[in-house]
Amino acid sequence: MRETWFLFRHFWQADLKAQHGIAGLVLFAVCTVYAAYQVVQGRPEPETWNALAWVILLFTAFNGVSRTLEEDRREVLAYLRTTVQPLHYMLARTLHNVIVLSGLACLVLGFMGLLMGSADLSVSRLIGFALGMMLTAVALGTTLTLLALIAARAGSGFGLTAVLGLPLVLPIVLVSTSLGADLLSGVLLADTWHNFAFLGALAAGSGVFGAVLFPYLWRDA
Amino acid sequence: MTHLQDPTSKGIWAVRIAGILLLVYTFVITFGVPLGPGIEDVHVTALERDGQQAQFELVLQGHATHFDDATTRVFLKRDNHLISATQIRSAGADVLSCLVTLPTAVPAASFDVYVNGKVDGTISYANGFFAAGLDVVEGAPLNRDEGTLDNLYDGDLGFHFPFQPNIMESIRNLMLHVPMWFTMFLLMGISFAQSIRTLRLGGDSGRDLKAVSSVKVGLWFGVLGLLTGSLWARFTWGAWWVDDPQLNGAFVTVMVYAGYLALRGSVQDTKLRARLAAVYNLFGFCLLVVLLMVLPRFTESLHPGKGGNPAFSSYDLDSALRAAFYPAVLGWMILGTWMYAVQLRIERWRTHRAEAQLSKACVPLGMLLVTPTSTSGLDRVFMVDGKMPVVTGVAVIILVGLAIWWVRALNTLNTMKETTSNTPTT
Repeated sequence: MRETWFLFRHFWQADLKAQHGIAGLVLFAVCTVYAAYQVVQGRPEPETWNALAWVILLFTAFNGVSRTLEEDRREVLAYLRTTVQPLHYMLARTLHNVIVLSGLACLVLGFMGLLMGSADLSVSRLIGFALGMMLTAVALGTTLTLLALIAARAGSGFGLTAVLGLPLVLPIVLVSTSLGADLLSGVLLADTWHNFAFLGALAAGSGVFGAVLFPYLWRDA
Repeated sequence: MTHLQDPTSKGIWAVRIAGILLLVYTFVITFGVPLGPGIEDVHVTALERDGQQAQFELVLQGHATHFDDATTRVFLKRDNHLISATQIRSAGADVLSCLVTLPTAVPAASFDVYVNGKVDGTISYANGFFAAGLDVVEGAPLNRDEGTLDNLYDGDLGFHFPFQPNIMESIRNLMLHVPMWFTMFLLMGISFAQSIRTLRLGGDSGRDLKAVSSVKVGLWFGVLGLLTGSLWARFTWGAWWVDDPQLNGAFVTVMVYAGYLALRGSVQDTKLRARLAAVYNLFGFCLLVVLLMVLPRFTESLHPGKGGNPAFSSYDLDSALRAAFYPAVLGWMILGTWMYAVQLRIERWRTHRAEAQLSKACVPLGMLLVTPTSTSGLDRVFMVDGKMPVVTGVAVIILVGLAIWWVRALNTLNTMKETTSNTPTT
């Protein structure tokens, strides 16, 4: 546990030190929202708003996790391989990605609200939507972390992560879009509760899978 | 050079020959067994009306029916209301016209149309008669022809497939399209098991070759399943592709395994490739189970077996379809595992070749994306004869697809033989 915490702090400090890291992600998210705003020309219909929110989150998430191994310098990675247990590394990586992506999800939602309005959502529904987005970010974070690590081990970058990841995140996208559609169409919160549970289960499931499978990627033998 | 010898024992050949025989049986029964009778369409024309009585002319279009039989009777039915039709005239075996007389106040707006005859038994068309221009009065009296139901014929048909409205003859695709997916799942399951063993053995390349061989063959079956499904969908649901959880799941499955091959293509080191591919395969397979088995059950779906739509098995996988469907699945699966064995030989040979080329992920996905913009002309070709051409089309797609696979495989096997005989043996 201490090791996980130490690694997590290490990733965080590395992010802060290399200023382009987090700032690049924020810039990407903001620019994507702005581009979407330009494309739809003003305040879109709730359905469009919903679709845009999830697609932007998806793109931001891919961009966010694809840096996962790039930022570890070769020497640092070699050092970590010999000293750190793979499970702890995976946990710290996932935690780090999940927190970054949740932050980005809030940023995307806030900036969308600023530019494109909030699709007439009441405050409680807006909080529900934000929760859904953060839960989606968690699920995307756990799934994509493993895939980005596979792609990084294969020696290729963003392209392979997208090829491997896009089909596999589809269950998450399906659940979260239906969650968003439910919230926007005024379905009772209690009736869309199962979607939250689904997202949580998908996040937990892929997290467990990542933790089980990652050690096989880590070892060089 | 043990890897080049065909290790197939006599027992395996017996299974394969049994598989071929099963497939021959499948094709014979798929195209040979007649479809049961059914009503394709009912045309209603309102005739003159005098006071309390209204008269309608019904023209029934049947498929594989025997309307020219003298015992044919027609009646309308809703709950326990029953009206017999009069002046039944048949114009050939599959067109029938008759008259019904109703009071102007009826207890229900629509009635199911039933036909009973000595040969066909009872066939029906749900809501075939709509009481246009009549007043619907709750509990309005309607003369019941009590005697009608007592002496109905049971029908005298041989072995036949059940008639389904809209699906009609294309129900035969059950023996062609559905086993493609069963076979694909079997092969992906083999690949899943082999991937687990790959990881257990720390990136064992022998197991890895088994995993990739079964994925390649499974992907071939998956693409054939998509193409045949697309054709079937066009002439039953009206579109080449519909937004449907089952269809999305199928498409994503093919994408995931195409991604698997893409991942393999980008790693050179054999051991690392074996491990990475195995990890992705395990992860992917589990998410696919979620995507295909869990999520669709919570959503509405056109596709049988999912959502609010019952499976074939629940109401109409009758004895005739069972007798054809289960052997078909077994036959296709044996063919699939045979192709897997051939692919495995090819893969082993490739890895042993000095100039090992990167195997290309050859998936004819382009074919899926090319959908003609205007296809209404195709209706004249495919919608005739109870949609029988759809079945032929599906069979042709599968046979051509498998023929392409076997021609390529046999070519490679030939090259294998040539290169081994040319190699000096010392």
